[in-house]
Amino acid sequence: MGQGGFGDPRPKRSHNVDRNSLISNASGWKSLITFTVLALAWISGFASRLFAVIRFESIIHEFDPWFNYRSTAYMVQHGFYNFLNWFDERAWYPLGRIVGGTVYPGLMLTSGSIHYILHSLNIPVNIRDICVFLAPVFSGLTSISTYLLTKEIWSPGAGLFAACFIAIVPGYISRSVAGSYDNEGIAIFALQITYFLWVRSVKTGSIFWACLTALSYFYMVSAWGGYVFIINLIPLHVFVLLLMGRYSSRLFTSYTTFYILGLIMSMQIPFVGFQPIRTSEHMAASGVFALMMAVSFLKYVQTILTKAEMRYFYTVAVVGAGSVVFFIVVLLTYAGVIAPWSGRFYSLWDTGYAKIHIPIIASVSEHQPTTWFSFFFDLHILVTTFPVGLWYCIKNINDERVFVVLYAVSAVYFAGVMVRLMLTLTPVVCVLSGIAFSHLLGLYLKEEENPSAQDSDSETEDGSSEKSSRNLYDKAGKLRRMRHEQIRESDGLGSNVRGIVVLAILMMLMMFAVHCTWVTGNAYSSPSIVLASYGQDGTRQILDDFREAYYWLSQNTHSDARVMSWWDYGYQIAGMANRTTLVDNNTWNNSHIALVGKAMSSNESEAYKIMTSLDVDYVLVIFGGVIGYSGDDINKFLWMVRIAEGEHPKDIRESDYFTERGEFRVDSEGTPTLLNCLMYKLSYYRFGELRMDYRSTPGFDRTRNVVIGNKNFDLTYLEEAYTTEHWLVRIYRVKKPDEFNRPRIPLSDRKIKRSKIFISKKTNKRKKGSIKNKPPVVKGKKPTKTA
Amino acid sequence: MSSSRFIGRISAFAILVALANFVQAGGNTLVLLDNLAIKETHSIFFKSLQERGHVLTFKSADDASLSLTKYGEYLYEHLIIFAPSVDELGGSLSVEGISEFVDGGGNLLVAASSSSSDLIREIASECGFEVDDDGAAVIDHLNYDVKDAGKHTLVVANPANLIDAPVIVGPKSSTPLLYQGTGLVVDRENPLVLTLLSADSSAYSYNPDNAIGEYPHAVGKNTALIAALQARNNARVVFSGSLYFFSDEAFSSPVQKALDNKKHQVSGNLQVATAISRWVLRESGVLRVKSVAHHKKGEVAPPASYTIMETVVYSIGIEQLDGNKWVPYKANDVQLEFVRIDPFVRTTLNYKQASGLYEVTFKIPDVYGVFQFKVDYNRIGYTRVFSTTQVSVRPLEHTQYERFILSAYPYYSSAFSMMAGVVLLSFIYLHYKEDPKKSKSE
Repeated sequence: MGQGGFGDPRPKRSHNVDRNSLISNASGWKSLITFTVLALAWISGFASRLFAVIRFESIIHEFDPWFNYRSTAYMVQHGFYNFLNWFDERAWYPLGRIVGGTVYPGLMLTSGSIHYILHSLNIPVNIRDICVFLAPVFSGLTSISTYLLTKEIWSPGAGLFAACFIAIVPGYISRSVAGSYDNEGIAIFALQITYFLWVRSVKTGSIFWACLTALSYFYMVSAWGGYVFIINLIPLHVFVLLLMGRYSSRLFTSYTTFYILGLIMSMQIPFVGFQPIRTSEHMAASGVFALMMAVSFLKYVQTILTKAEMRYFYTVAVVGAGSVVFFIVVLLTYAGVIAPWSGRFYSLWDTGYAKIHIPIIASVSEHQPTTWFSFFFDLHILVTTFPVGLWYCIKNINDERVFVVLYAVSAVYFAGVMVRLMLTLTPVVCVLSGIAFSHLLGLYLKEEENPSAQDSDSETEDGSSEKSSRNLYDKAGKLRRMRHEQIRESDGLGSNVRGIVVLAILMMLMMFAVHCTWVTGNAYSSPSIVLASYGQDGTRQILDDFREAYYWLSQNTHSDARVMSWWDYGYQIAGMANRTTLVDNNTWNNSHIALVGKAMSSNESEAYKIMTSLDVDYVLVIFGGVIGYSGDDINKFLWMVRIAEGEHPKDIRESDYFTERGEFRVDSEGTPTLLNCLMYKLSYYRFGELRMDYRSTPGFDRTRNVVIGNKNFDLTYLEEAYTTEHWLVRIYRVKKPDEFNRPRIPLSDRKIKRSKIFISKKTNKRKKGSIKNKPPVVKGKKPTKTA
Repeated sequence: MSSSRFIGRISAFAILVALANFVQAGGNTLVLLDNLAIKETHSIFFKSLQERGHVLTFKSADDASLSLTKYGEYLYEHLIIFAPSVDELGGSLSVEGISEFVDGGGNLLVAASSSSSDLIREIASECGFEVDDDGAAVIDHLNYDVKDAGKHTLVVANPANLIDAPVIVGPKSSTPLLYQGTGLVVDRENPLVLTLLSADSSAYSYNPDNAIGEYPHAVGKNTALIAALQARNNARVVFSGSLYFFSDEAFSSPVQKALDNKKHQVSGNLQVATAISRWVLRESGVLRVKSVAHHKKGEVAPPASYTIMETVVYSIGIEQLDGNKWVPYKANDVQLEFVRIDPFVRTTLNYKQASGLYEVTFKIPDVYGVFQFKVDYNRIGYTRVFSTTQVSVRPLEHTQYERFILSAYPYYSSAFSMMAGVVLLSFIYLHYKEDPKKSKSE
């Protein structure tokens, strides 16, 4: 019931203190209900994330989680300092990767310490299970921190709504299902708790809360690269508050404490290092810090000078200070002390930027612009209610609501740019929708407050929790005015209207819950290393080709064998097969990836040169043509070409892979360059002989629905080593140079042609050869010379 | 074949161990002949082989029992085909079988003649040579021997045309060589093929009975008389266009060019043929890597991984086969590369007389990654010495960076003065008692 339920709390509280019985103690009820709702949110959030475990098994999902899992296991085994200094020679062969310095260690530290605590309590849990269930457990913490944030911004009732929303909203579940062991799983919790602590510290102006904010910011920095969002949003909040003339000593205390502590602590993460003082992304924070100092100085000066002097001084100082700061930043950027904006940053403003300049970023599907469809898919009803909450916040603005408004606006923008950033939008959508629903229900349930609290069931929980919350909520008097307005608004509503509206709201919430469960179960719970397909009769078929191939690699290849594959599979090969990879999902070295892309898009002999220079032993490709799996390497192939072209524009040209009409096709109309490149050959080797069923033509690619163009070819420099059951993963062995022992002269290149075609006269019984002009030997006769 | 079986059966007897070693030193050799008469006409050559410890098994090339392998193991180490006119090999032997034999490390000596069969031609082109057409012979109207029958096919080959590699063709001499047979064409793009002996610039290869209708396949110095291949697995193949080259007749007859009065009492064929046979049967120019060791300077055992900028000592032992024992190989041109895609260090290894090892000490560059110590020693006539050892070079650990840098002292002092200041300030703040009345009045 939003703040509709909040009266002036003080007299009521004192009233409550008088009545000490448990039943009538509203604060007791309030705590009980809050606790129950949050516990239920935690449990249901946890439970709905278990689809993947129940349908498949307790397994690490996708790509990045495999690396996180591998490094967590390493850390648990070798200790933190060895992890920090871990030089992984099995990745990025032959460059190697300093894992400790190129990773956000928060995730590993979190699960490592959970593992440590459980083991010191003699609870033996495998680190893999901790990794699998970490994200679902943290989703509960996220909903609690969302509750706290919303409570801080609006009311405990809205907080409970928001906590329930965030527990099951698909936009967040997509990154936190069991097995999805990724940074985002804990980062959203860190994000929310940081924002809560920030709002709390702005409200109280206490150093204590600001320090806690900095601490949780530190945790966020250690967990996810998205911390940049915080370090830009909080300064923006401060800046906007300054513009609105809402400067206060509370703001000054909290921001300066947070900034300095946060800065120093964030620099303790090896991967972040000196970035906070040297890159443009972090400059806004220090600029606002300087501005804050300037403003507080002005405030101080204001106490000394007269008004007229002050006005003059003010303009001069503001313009002067502003331009000085700006020029210093520009100068430092030019001097190279401050790194200019990174490509990823530019791609946030210009969605076409990445496609032109940094194909490696654009090639990732989660970096594509978001479609309106996925907004609805991930947020459902919340996408329509969150502007309502935003409106309420703007209408009843105060310091902390400015923050949530800015949070909402920026997150909406970023979510529109990249699918992946949907994740940062989701929490604020939940917060604002919580506010909206709480406010609406507050409006429409107000009259029936007393009866409904006793008997109506489903509303009761919301209703009573809101109602009871009023007793404890100690809010500044500002709210009182709004309450009066709302009471006035709701005066004209009849009970029927109220009933209909409340029912409609409940209906929508129910549909939201159904949608969330459906989406979680169907879209976000696939481990993607185990695929499931459903037959027409509904039977489920498990395609376990990935693990089959990786297991084959781990059992049948030399332990130092180097496997070349596209970078998507690097982490999985390292994690599951424990073999050396050339490139992986860390994508830190574009030119190395381009080299692999060049090998994949060149013809066999060119590719062989690259592969020998990189000491490649095996090549692994993903091929979906047999089962119609669309995420295979041929469909990703154009990105390999583009990335290779970026580094080797002389050798690889994207246009060579398109037909004259600009189509990318693998059938007989495809370009010869495409039909002879390594990727094509490795994907379709012997595919021309394969007949799926007696009706289809041989070599029919089910993913692209064409009959392939180049069917009968042999591999010279590679040989097929293993192909999984459904042809999903194909592994080839690269022949060593000494296997081309003697460069023979092929028949066509011979200068001296053979006189006749040789037909063997040998049979199984008669093994004798023949010699020209040999005198025939007949038993019992003397050999006579014939010629 | 039989001797190896025999030895296998009784090798337990210590008394025969010496014999076993002796046999292994030479190795088993299968000799395929057109007819067994060749055994007599080339007796000097075969005898020299037998004297050097080779066990020769003579078989007719069309023998139905021919086989190179038994239970997947090669029965012979070397194969000599002195059967230019064999149309089809007997038993389980075929061109594919012979190429597999070479790929399996076996050595091959083939002699063709002016009437070579297609089979010989096939074997040749498997190894990167081509044997000229049936009937074609090397003709040299300027450098033919006095004994020539009139077709100028008994060519006197100039020893200066021998390849400059004493390991293969023996020490240099000025005695000319007698050659009668077909010409070979060498694949110019094949880097492994060596022309051991080429014809003079006045020679060409064509059928001496026919008028020249088309341009000969091999003309002048491009006509290879004897060619060799050392495959990538170090298997050795020698192809001679002339079977006559190895015959007793060629070994013992005097040489005199028809247009020259200078007469040599005996041809140089014996020396060259012996040297070539020593090379092809792996008696000369055989190297191997004995040992590879690397460690940090001042240590003994190799570390799990090196750190950048460390000084590393690398040593490699290379041995040469001398008779049937391995002796250290001495050279001053063995190089070491420290490679991560590209070589970061390339340095010459120094031979240490005392240990018989090549050794070098160098500093690892300031680059981390997976490196390889690479020795790739490729000299004409010698087996390829190739050794890579993979090591990882890691960056500095967090404790290995320099501490207390001089230029950082201002920062240290500012940090400590700040700490002292805060302590002082809080002390004063806590214990300073303001006079309440005074402050209020102010």
